[in-house]
Amino acid sequence: MLITSTDIDAEIDKRQICNYLGYCAECEPPARISSLIDEYVENVHHLIDPVHSYIIKDIERVENSYVFLEGSIVLKSRVIARLLERCCQAAVMVATIGNQLEEMACQLAEDGLMVQSAVLDTIGSDAVERVADFVQGRIGEVASAQGLCVSPRFSPGYCDWNITQQKKVFQAIGRNTAGVSLTEDCLMVPRKSISGIIGIGRCHDSIEHYNPCKTCRKHDCQSRRVA
Amino acid sequence: MTEDLLSLIKENVIQGRIAQDDEGFDEGLVGQPGASELTEKALTEGVNLEDIINKGLTEGMNIVGQKFETGEYYIPDMLASAETVGAAMEILEPHLAQSGIKSKGKILVATVKGDLHDIGKNIVSILLRGAGYTVKDLGNDIAPQTIVEAVREERPQFLGMSALLTSTMIHMNNTIEALTESGLRDKVKIIIGGAAVSEEFAQSIGANGYGADGFQAVKIMDALRNSMKG
Repeated sequence: MLITSTDIDAEIDKRQICNYLGYCAECEPPARISSLIDEYVENVHHLIDPVHSYIIKDIERVENSYVFLEGSIVLKSRVIARLLERCCQAAVMVATIGNQLEEMACQLAEDGLMVQSAVLDTIGSDAVERVADFVQGRIGEVASAQGLCVSPRFSPGYCDWNITQQKKVFQAIGRNTAGVSLTEDCLMVPRKSISGIIGIGRCHDSIEHYNPCKTCRKHDCQSRRVA
Repeated sequence: MTEDLLSLIKENVIQGRIAQDDEGFDEGLVGQPGASELTEKALTEGVNLEDIINKGLTEGMNIVGQKFETGEYYIPDMLASAETVGAAMEILEPHLAQSGIKSKGKILVATVKGDLHDIGKNIVSILLRGAGYTVKDLGNDIAPQTIVEAVREERPQFLGMSALLTSTMIHMNNTIEALTESGLRDKVKIIIGGAAVSEEFAQSIGANGYGADGFQAVKIMDALRNSMKG
């Protein structure tokens, strides 16, 4: 399935969906699950409304675990600070596929159709990742035009970057939040949304392949990035 | 004859087949009666309701649990079986009320405040229903005080709380504290689950049990129930 909007082209990856559902790289799902994935991948375009927004901010300074961005925005995270102290700018982004797919998945669950609900939900998770990847690519192009490179994407709620820092991310993004809002507990609505920050700086391995997981002791972390 | 029927119900739970049009985990089963048709047939033939649940649905789900643990089954396969049990229980529930078969106990389940994830909670709910418990699902994003009020009104023996996020698991603690302040903590056994929590966390907040998955949740509930009887 090709996710398209005015400026987004991103392909849903069936293998990735199987992985999200727990099937290992060599494992093929049973025929009924496989055909269900195929059916949904072909037929849920209308439930996916990819929208994104990003803004590039100058980094004013970094002190210990604090990053000071232009516009009086202060981020707090040791992991993010170690990245951004090597960068000159930070792209702050939000991407979403809207709420239609989520509503359909909830309805299916309410109707007791849990397999369908889980498969649809998983397709939504992959779709929003693809949209976020697309935005990341777009930011990479902007950086490249200036002779700069970008880091991987980091989101509040991972590593030591507290989920409450979502407020800072949305403060940085400003008015154009792509229709995404925050709950009192800093979760994004629609749920199938991704927010994050990407460092921009001189092309160097320490930015392009910045990976705090290499030195992290939480070896059982489900979000661990392969070095 | 009855044993054959129960065995077929069990097999269809393992295959995750609700109706005769469904494919199973194994291929080539389309056209054969599924768990719904077989459950209807068992009712028509006067098979004991408890046997349908225990020897058909629960035994089938126990095998699904083993297959899930050993990695033969993945999440969607387990969900298909849970869905099958849910469909069969829907057929049985009106008859259970009439037959006087007692529930193993009432449990309120909720995903805690700030957390919108409910697939895990829904799976646990189906497995508990299939295991003979009465389940009242409060939904997701449920505040501590709402849970306290529900415990006061519903008077369940058990409370199950789920949290997927490390940022929301604190509300499990808040809920237990709110129950304590309301004088209701001793009235209900509390079991928790979800990706964010662990056995250690359960102990640290004073929960009575932790279920790593739906199958463990049922085992822990049964163990808690037995300890209450003693």
